Amino acid sequence: MLLQVENLKTWLRAGKDTVKAVDDVSFHIKQGETFCLVGESGSGKSVTALSVIQLLPTDISSHPSGHILFNYRHDDGGVESVDMLALEDARRREIRGSRIAMIFQEPMTSLNPVFRVGDQITEALRLHRPGISEAEARARAIDALAQVQIPDPELRVDEYPHRLSGGQRQRVMIAMAMACEPDLLIADEPTTALDVTVQAEILRLMRELQERRGTSILFITHDFGVVANMADRVAVMRLGKIVETGSVTQIIQDPQHPYTRELIAALPENLKRRRAAPLAASGAPPGTAPQRPAGMHLDLQGLEVYFPVRKGLLRRTVDYVRAVDGVDLQIPHGQILALVGESGCGKTTLGRAILRLVEPTGGRVQVGDRDITTLARRELRPIRRELQIIFQDPVSSLNPRLTIAQTLLEPMAVHGIGDSREERLAIASRTLENVQLEAAHLWRYPHEFSGGQRQRIGIARALVLSPKFIVCDEVTSALDVSVQAEILQILLELRRERNLTLLFITHDIGVVEYVSDEMAVMHGGRIVERGPTAEVCRRPRHEYTQKLLAAVPRIELQG
Amino acid sequence: MTETIKQRAPAQPSRSYAAQVLREAFVRWGARLGLSWILLLVVVAVFAPFLANSHPLLVSANGSISSPLIRHLTPGDVTLLAVFGAAVALWFVKWRFRYRVLALVAVTVIAASLTHLTIQPPKLTVYEQYRENITAGAYDWVINTPVPYSPKDYLRDYGDTGLEAPLLDTGRTHLFGTDDNGADVLSRMIHASRIALGIGFVATGIAMVIGVIIGGLMGYFSGVMDIIGMRLVEIFEAVPTLFLLLTFVAFFGRSLYIMMVIIGITGWSGFARYIRAEFLKLRQQEFVQAGIACGLPLHSILFRHMLPNGIAPVLVAASFGVASAILAEAVLSFLGLGLVDDPSWGQMLNQAVKSSSFNWWMAAYPGGAIFLTVFAYNLIGESLRDAIDPYLKKSAG
Repeated sequence: MLLQVENLKTWLRAGKDTVKAVDDVSFHIKQGETFCLVGESGSGKSVTALSVIQLLPTDISSHPSGHILFNYRHDDGGVESVDMLALEDARRREIRGSRIAMIFQEPMTSLNPVFRVGDQITEALRLHRPGISEAEARARAIDALAQVQIPDPELRVDEYPHRLSGGQRQRVMIAMAMACEPDLLIADEPTTALDVTVQAEILRLMRELQERRGTSILFITHDFGVVANMADRVAVMRLGKIVETGSVTQIIQDPQHPYTRELIAALPENLKRRRAAPLAASGAPPGTAPQRPAGMHLDLQGLEVYFPVRKGLLRRTVDYVRAVDGVDLQIPHGQILALVGESGCGKTTLGRAILRLVEPTGGRVQVGDRDITTLARRELRPIRRELQIIFQDPVSSLNPRLTIAQTLLEPMAVHGIGDSREERLAIASRTLENVQLEAAHLWRYPHEFSGGQRQRIGIARALVLSPKFIVCDEVTSALDVSVQAEILQILLELRRERNLTLLFITHDIGVVEYVSDEMAVMHGGRIVERGPTAEVCRRPRHEYTQKLLAAVPRIELQG
Repeated sequence: MTETIKQRAPAQPSRSYAAQVLREAFVRWGARLGLSWILLLVVVAVFAPFLANSHPLLVSANGSISSPLIRHLTPGDVTLLAVFGAAVALWFVKWRFRYRVLALVAVTVIAASLTHLTIQPPKLTVYEQYRENITAGAYDWVINTPVPYSPKDYLRDYGDTGLEAPLLDTGRTHLFGTDDNGADVLSRMIHASRIALGIGFVATGIAMVIGVIIGGLMGYFSGVMDIIGMRLVEIFEAVPTLFLLLTFVAFFGRSLYIMMVIIGITGWSGFARYIRAEFLKLRQQEFVQAGIACGLPLHSILFRHMLPNGIAPVLVAASFGVASAILAEAVLSFLGLGLVDDPSWGQMLNQAVKSSSFNWWMAAYPGGAIFLTVFAYNLIGESLRDAIDPYLKKSAG
């Protein structure tokens, strides 16, 4: 048993309150095993990991009970079982980095931008292996970079972090963590900030390294797809407690605890199956739109958005960033088109260009039979009512200074919806009930709501103007999986009731399969493939689509 | 797995962000001390004529009761009292904030014009008459203000220089002593608090208005507007305020108003920078984008959605700005370029140095007052900054 956590409690102090972040948690990790901690945000999985490596600030955290027994392998080969909680600081530091290493979520901030990549690796090496010479440490650093498959490691070792991509930085982080050959690697959501294709590569790399070195991994994630790919054993956490532990097949195929069942059922893959079931039975799925006369609601013709790159004293335009590079796209009435792509492919810019939040540099946006690209600001205002957008980040999408009522009523007043304040209030509270909130919530401020509730308010704000077309820009990517399921169901329900046309921008293939009628794959500012969702997912034609779909971590579900 | 929506009584209204920040700022003892000192100064400034005046509050001569003090109140005094009264009353009235501010502005304008039209205090004031009358026994009884000396009541006939240390046994009570001209130091300090507060608020107010407008335009429209605006900011940052003030004093004579305006129009660049940075950031925020997508008019987006979210750092800068404006006035007065006859803390410090011998009471009391006031504003600014700083809040919990 490499690591044995027994009855661990971690309490965090926040002002006068004490939060029981980890509440009586026990688990163990064997040599060479990958143990996954799964849970939604706030379940205490990261705090558990930080408790194991003892990185929590001591002034706000305390451990009222528990043991963290770790088999400390000394350099001479002797093994000693130590309790991380009872150990003095100097010895903890010896263990940290050399025997237990950690990888963090955000590769953009976890490397120090003022040091070369090589220096950051050798620093840890020379600290824990005092005998090593500088040349030798550099050789080991290059070797470590080569192991994480960074091309040209001899050159890259002298590179600064800002010259590397997100995926490369995460590789460097792994190289740093693995350089001292630790026995336990703690990975705290290491791929959450990465694109799926990069994620697939990083996960493969971690598995390879583990096989070669026999390292144990404590893997923290919220993504069951990743769990299914990585884990030997899984523990599901909720509210600081482990509700269920078991092998990966047992947890995913045959969950025992009701919470685990809920979580598994909320996965978009499973929603998909439930939605498909009545389709086979009755022929009229509840989620799909009623048949409408054919006709395009939205028609994009050669839409281009270029951002100028300016250089020099006179800020002359030397080049353009082609964020959206000639996109033709049609969305029929009442349909949901999913726009899929990795970060930086221009999908968000496209969504905003349709609403003219970003001015298109070329091409046409046609709504119904009107061309809105040439309209002046003033002429555009009445049309704004029909085109709405819902944003990704539920925190920044609501004005923190205004109550929900103020946020919802102002656009209505501007567009002359409702004759009096009372009437508008009535509309607003009806809309809130539509998105499963209460009328009483009108008088609250945004900070009093959870992420899922705020996202629903964002939907309500788009709906009060009774629009015909809504751009949903990554609406569920900041949410937990169970909340995501609710939001998706609300959107489908509303689409059916109000006959909305949706452009659903996302990077999550599972969500695409669940909600959309058609999908378009975007790469480098262009649409590379489009077609009915089921068709594209089953038989991707374009090379990039094939790569993208292959990279999605899948869960093998029982038939 | 429906998310449980917490049921709470809707009767309890939610606290807005502004109220939260203020609460957070003023639970700190530093800010409370600072605020209480400023409030004390405000009360002292408003009621200065009732606290230190050679005119008795009430006099009974031959059975008829009169109040020379009220007869000698200037229009300025009365306006100040009216505005203060209105502000206190409006604090308790449950109107919307905007209406209360408008009401206060209206009261100020009406009171100022009415008092200047109707009130005409006697031009010539002879302070000596009351003391003579008392010695002659012409009054039945007299009620004096707590400090029975006006700031310009020069008791030149008392001694050789007029300078007297505090609480000398001469039959007269001068708590803080007297200056070269024999005027009571405490009385002069009480009346000087008006100038100290006034110059701080007005100069910073001017700077803030200019800074917010220019900075807001730079931040929202960016591009060419931003480039021109930033060059303007750099030009104004290069202007040495003190020497500009000296030049203006040399050309146009000594005037409190010129001082306020100059400190104001040279000090806006900092505010403009803050607002520009905030607006550049806010413009990309999704709630602003959502506002544009909803077709809200520009003024609503600028003033309703962006300004309240970006004003916080400006308020912090403003409280430091008030402190530095007070210091600037004190420096000018100390150099002998301030107001001629009206009392000001800096000018009193100047007198302390000019006298042939060092008179500690002339330096300690006004110097202490300047120190405490600047310190109080800095404490408030510091505390506001902590309250709006998301990073500090995160580390605290």
